[in-house]
Amino acid sequence: MDKLILKVLLGIIHVFTKKDVDFDRLKIIAETKILMDRRRSPANYRQKQRKEIKNPLLITLVMYGLLGLFMAMVILARFPLLLGLATFHAYLLFMMAMTLVTDFSSVLLDTTDNVIILPKPVSSRTLFLARVVHILVYLLQFTIALAIFPLIAIFIKFGIITGLVNIVMVLLTVAFSVFITYLLYAFILRFANEQKVKDIISYFQLFMTIFFAIGFQVFPRMINLNSIQLSFALHWYSYLAPPIWMAVATEAFHDLNFDQVHLLMLACAFIIPIATVWLMIKFLAPSFSRKLAALNNNTEVTKKTAAGEKAGKDISEKISPLVCTTGIEKAGFEQTWKITGRDKGFRMQFYPSLAYILVFIFIIVFNSGKNFTATWHNLPDTKRFLAFIYLPMMSIISSLPIVAFNDNYVAAWVYQSTPLTNPGEVITGMLKSLLIKFLVPIYVVMFTACYYVWGAAIIDDFILGFFNNAFIFLLMAYLSDHYLPFSRQANIKMQTGKLIRMVMQLIIIGLLVFAHYSALKIYWLPSALIPLSAFGGYILLRSIKRLPWSKIAI
Amino acid sequence: MAVIEIVNLKKQYAGKYVLQGINLSIDAGQVVGYIGPNGAGKSTTIKIIAGITDEFEGDVSVFGMDVRRHALEIKQRIGYIPEQAAIYDVLTPIEYLRFIGRLYGLSEEVIGTKSWELLRLFELSDKAETRMNTYSKGMKQKVLLISGLIHNPEIIFLDEPLSGLDANAVILVKEILSQLKQSGKTIFYSSHIMDVVEKISDRIVIIDKGAVVADGSFESLQQQAHQGTLENIFTSLTGGDQQNTSTAKEFINVLNS
Repeated sequence: MDKLILKVLLGIIHVFTKKDVDFDRLKIIAETKILMDRRRSPANYRQKQRKEIKNPLLITLVMYGLLGLFMAMVILARFPLLLGLATFHAYLLFMMAMTLVTDFSSVLLDTTDNVIILPKPVSSRTLFLARVVHILVYLLQFTIALAIFPLIAIFIKFGIITGLVNIVMVLLTVAFSVFITYLLYAFILRFANEQKVKDIISYFQLFMTIFFAIGFQVFPRMINLNSIQLSFALHWYSYLAPPIWMAVATEAFHDLNFDQVHLLMLACAFIIPIATVWLMIKFLAPSFSRKLAALNNNTEVTKKTAAGEKAGKDISEKISPLVCTTGIEKAGFEQTWKITGRDKGFRMQFYPSLAYILVFIFIIVFNSGKNFTATWHNLPDTKRFLAFIYLPMMSIISSLPIVAFNDNYVAAWVYQSTPLTNPGEVITGMLKSLLIKFLVPIYVVMFTACYYVWGAAIIDDFILGFFNNAFIFLLMAYLSDHYLPFSRQANIKMQTGKLIRMVMQLIIIGLLVFAHYSALKIYWLPSALIPLSAFGGYILLRSIKRLPWSKIAI
Repeated sequence: MAVIEIVNLKKQYAGKYVLQGINLSIDAGQVVGYIGPNGAGKSTTIKIIAGITDEFEGDVSVFGMDVRRHALEIKQRIGYIPEQAAIYDVLTPIEYLRFIGRLYGLSEEVIGTKSWELLRLFELSDKAETRMNTYSKGMKQKVLLISGLIHNPEIIFLDEPLSGLDANAVILVKEILSQLKQSGKTIFYSSHIMDVVEKISDRIVIIDKGAVVADGSFESLQQQAHQGTLENIFTSLTGGDQQNTSTAKEFINVLNS
């Protein structure tokens, strides 16, 4: 598809080529860029195994197409014209802007061109045009992937004229999304250095990964929703929302209604995207690329701390003395705490699974088929707080295999080169760190929510639940292979026996939940079980602590 | 005849001058080693002469042409090999060299035969169609060298050409540089490896904090500074000599405390 788009674009440019543009070189640069795009591994929805895939871009496009298919079904199934179109354009605007920020940013912010292409005899105008062509090809193929199915749906449901008008509107929305992305970049670049920019972008990528994970759960469900209010009224603030301009403008052609409101929206739909993009190319882009170049030149300048002034203690350094007994354990604790927060690989793999907690809870607690309000009212009579207690562990336990991996795994040589006799202490430090960093805050949120619904009666359950969770976590750690934190290479065989582990996990959690559920019948029993659970955890912790080198996999 | 003429070159970043008035005149066929501590302005100078950066003060001309006005003609006749393995590493060497060759306007046959031959000489022919993201730094550096020389340029700019290469490759590159010099090319390069600079340069230019602090053949520098090796001359001129010794002493003291 990209080759075809390129051909069309080059054909157009060929006709209009001016004498200061070198068409052959433009073509070479654009072709090479597109070839590289195909091989770039996508930022969102990254594959876990690092196998070299022939065309990762194609996979991404298929994913986007699938999302578009859901959108098409939503439009076909329920929505009237205006709401359907507004939803579609909002989706398109959001997806385009997010894709540009997360996936294309590595291309846009890459200044390698400056050292590779600029020393070659290529005029800056040619290079500029080649870049524009490259970006257009990228935009168009994502536009097609995102919009092809919804557009077909619109053609089928609302007729040919509406469909044709909407194609134009799609292009305008995409143009506007470019402008929004640009504003976002300009904003980030204004306040951040290169490292920060990359960090911020990685958070966007994280957000997108989570969005995808949830989107594929929620979108198909939306198709069956009956209770959503499908009426739609224009307010003054509708004029601020680009998707609504597009929707109303299309409606004007559909109903052949060109009254004041429709004309005004039509004007917004056409003038604002075109004007902002023109403004961007003409005035803002040059200063943008200069700022970008400066960003790359100043990589050596790092933040200096004033002499004698020490950076404040990290939070992990404040907690570690409270929960760790030996220096080695403290080292493992702080190391894990800091790297899990700073390493992009860990964040990208683990944080999305935290988002699943919400999805699971929503599905299990509220998805009992009927009416949401009735479920909500009956909630205090049920024992569903057990879901709040135990579901988070399903996600948090997935940090166990992930924490062993790191791109910079060779740095783990320090464990071998130092006279470390009790490697188990590093592991207990790591386990405590994961529990306190991830389970405790989530657990507190869960408790607060449940306290609001069920009241003080569940306090003992939450205390027991906490120790049970810790017990499950430690038991899984004890039963699986032991690795020191961040010591494994990421692309060696990932997670052997994953299925067995999953089944084991489910059985253990299931047994404990069942035990807890049974204990609920006798009001004092949960409190009485707390010491037992805590003792179990203590035994496990002690066994892991005593692990010798021979039990540690390297 | 001077092929590179630099008159009062200044360059500022964010209000601070990183080059503060450089004057150099380089004759055809010279091999110039351009050395200085980190951040002295070596790469910046090379980028300006090679026409990559056009925001600067002063006059720079190459082959008698102003770099600001005749950048394209100049670029066609010079080769630039950047530092830090800046390369499109999702491409294979063959694809990359084809891309670069086309940008120089070479014909397909010339690109094809030259790339295969040159890769073979660098012992990369068995990996010529593997993507470079699996390459080591030294292998990438070899491909970069080829890409900067494939159009047979008259002046060659190299920014740290030896970094990341293994011992054998260093010797090979050194040999290639001296052969290039014999065939009359002008070479302008920066490096940290002092004994290589000492051996193959006709002329050594030392810069510090954006200004030239020494300029001449190795022998003349030796006479001026009354020091033995280039390393000694370098540290005495860039002010590291006394300081390095005392820092090292202090370091040992802290270890022992």
